[in-house]
Amino acid sequence: MDISNDTLLDLHHRMVRIRLFEEEAGKLQESGKVPGALHLYVGEEAVAAGVMSHLSAEDQITSTHRGHGHLVAKGGDLRKMYAELYGRSTGYCKGKGGSMHISDLDLGMLGANGIVGAGPPIAIGAAFSNKYRGTDRVTICFFGDGASNEGTFHEAANMAALFKLPVVFVCENNGFGEFTSQARHQAIKDVADRAAGYGMPGIITDGMDVLAVYEAAGEAIARARRGAGPSLLECKTYRFFDHVGVRGMGVVYREDAEVLEWRKRDPITLFESRLEEMGLLTTEAAAQVRERILFEIREAIAFAEASPFPAEGALMEDIYTVRGAAR
Amino acid sequence: MARGPIGIIANPASGKDIRRLVAHASVFDNQEKVNIIRRTVLGAVAAGCDEFLYLHDGHALVLNAIDGLDADATFTEVETPGTASALDSERAAARMREAGAAVIVTLGGDGTNRAVARGWEDAPLVAISTGTNNVFPRMVEGTVAGAAAGLVASGKLALADAARQCKLVRVEVEGERDDLALIDAVLLDEPFVGARAIWTTRVLRTMVLTRADPAAVGMSAVGGLLHTLTDADDGGLVVQVGPGGGTVVAPIAPGLFEPVPIAEVRSLAWGERVEVAGPGILALDGERERRLLRGQRAWLRVERSGPWVVDVARTMRLAACRGLFRFEAGGVDDAN
Repeated sequence: MDISNDTLLDLHHRMVRIRLFEEEAGKLQESGKVPGALHLYVGEEAVAAGVMSHLSAEDQITSTHRGHGHLVAKGGDLRKMYAELYGRSTGYCKGKGGSMHISDLDLGMLGANGIVGAGPPIAIGAAFSNKYRGTDRVTICFFGDGASNEGTFHEAANMAALFKLPVVFVCENNGFGEFTSQARHQAIKDVADRAAGYGMPGIITDGMDVLAVYEAAGEAIARARRGAGPSLLECKTYRFFDHVGVRGMGVVYREDAEVLEWRKRDPITLFESRLEEMGLLTTEAAAQVRERILFEIREAIAFAEASPFPAEGALMEDIYTVRGAAR
Repeated sequence: MARGPIGIIANPASGKDIRRLVAHASVFDNQEKVNIIRRTVLGAVAAGCDEFLYLHDGHALVLNAIDGLDADATFTEVETPGTASALDSERAAARMREAGAAVIVTLGGDGTNRAVARGWEDAPLVAISTGTNNVFPRMVEGTVAGAAAGLVASGKLALADAARQCKLVRVEVEGERDDLALIDAVLLDEPFVGARAIWTTRVLRTMVLTRADPAAVGMSAVGGLLHTLTDADDGGLVVQVGPGGGTVVAPIAPGLFEPVPIAEVRSLAWGERVEVAGPGILALDGERERRLLRGQRAWLRVERSGPWVVDVARTMRLAACRGLFRFEAGGVDDAN
């Protein structure tokens, strides 16, 4: 695997940035400062970081209801993200979308989505456009094990393979569709098995090992970029926090022991010990990385809190596109 | 007459790695593994075995297979740590040995069988290939593989008649626990385990092979296209990858022929140790497994102390010769 020291440290930085963004967001929600439901990405950082490391702003992604990590890894503006969580007019959606609708077209982030399985058709639309226009852009479609049961996923997978579209379906299989364990929502355990049914390769990788994701995603993306068509990359991962928020809604659906077992494979801890062994990171340097990111986060939260709510008159703005005014 | 139960170890993770992207390996879906287990059980029951032990994997392959299956047999789960990793296969094999299993049927690739051998080094095996580019397990129909296992488990055929003991590579790592490989142990100039499978030649350094098979795919083929060595032959083969001795073009993954520069090829006598040193990764049976730190040494040697592998075709020919499936008119009911 060809990977520079700079890239290794960048992977680490992206994961820590996601972790800290989410931990702070969780605290804000639990303290009542941030309204609405937040689906936090803690535990799954290796997937977003390992995939996004191969993308430029020209490449696109579609995200899920658990989408903060994707945008943070793609270089999202933390100020606009927190402002959106706070419902402020300086946010990504001018404070009217909230956590599950953040998008950033300049960064190729085509949107988080509150609807499970809504991303795949959007992703193949973008991929079709990229192919039609003769670009070498790639679209990544993030989705979960739950979404793989939705008709939208199957239709999109079929068309992607049929038209040989430059899209990579990245399944973040965290073992649960909301509060329902995978064993109770599908008769299979490997979503990658479904790829063969559409005529594309499907592979599985360890979603807690950022280098395993990096290597596999790199090949899937390169394949799509050179016109060889779509593929499905299933990353076995786990959400450390509850489906919603940190401690969640008190729904009993998984054992604490299971969470503890997965936490032993914390992707950031695993990677940090590897970087330390390689002499690329020290405990002090890791603390400095955290401190720098926390400084950025505190500044972003202050920005959000100082920002105004949307004006009442703005309620109907950005709902419909006026004919001829579309970009 | 009964010798013991049949153990079933099916690896739900085999046949799904990165070689589907970087090469042209086939996808082995788990439903097919479930079907193979069903056929194996039915074959074994027909051959006279009615007692099974199994590894309960996270995908419940065996439970799915026996759900509603019309087979007059008992199935007992063996205790494993439930890590959803190779460790489960290793521990399950050890438990099956303790429980007196006569033979283990494995579904997986070289890596799966290596895990089983780590738990029970000279295990009697019927190895069914459901992996990527396998040298150790065979592509064999589950029905017949099950029948062969059943003949051994029921004591109708002696293991020594049905099976032969395989070679292995003993891997000693300085300051750490020993390891083994069934087909190949390879030092890679590579700092990371990453996506595990070997699919690039640039990082290959030293390989020690128990079998060098020109009709295989993977590291065994690299050696095999230089100097053929079967499992029946004595000793092993060492290949030093590097400049100086020309190039061999070999299939290192399905559909992926690549040039490999060869510095040296030589035979390895029984027990002769090959020293390698880090930094690097030791790939065992095709998977990046053990990391060697800078200066850390490891020693590789070939021994004949591996699993006893049932030759399914030979076993069934023996069964035919001895009339083990043949009954006088009206005698079938009595046979079971």
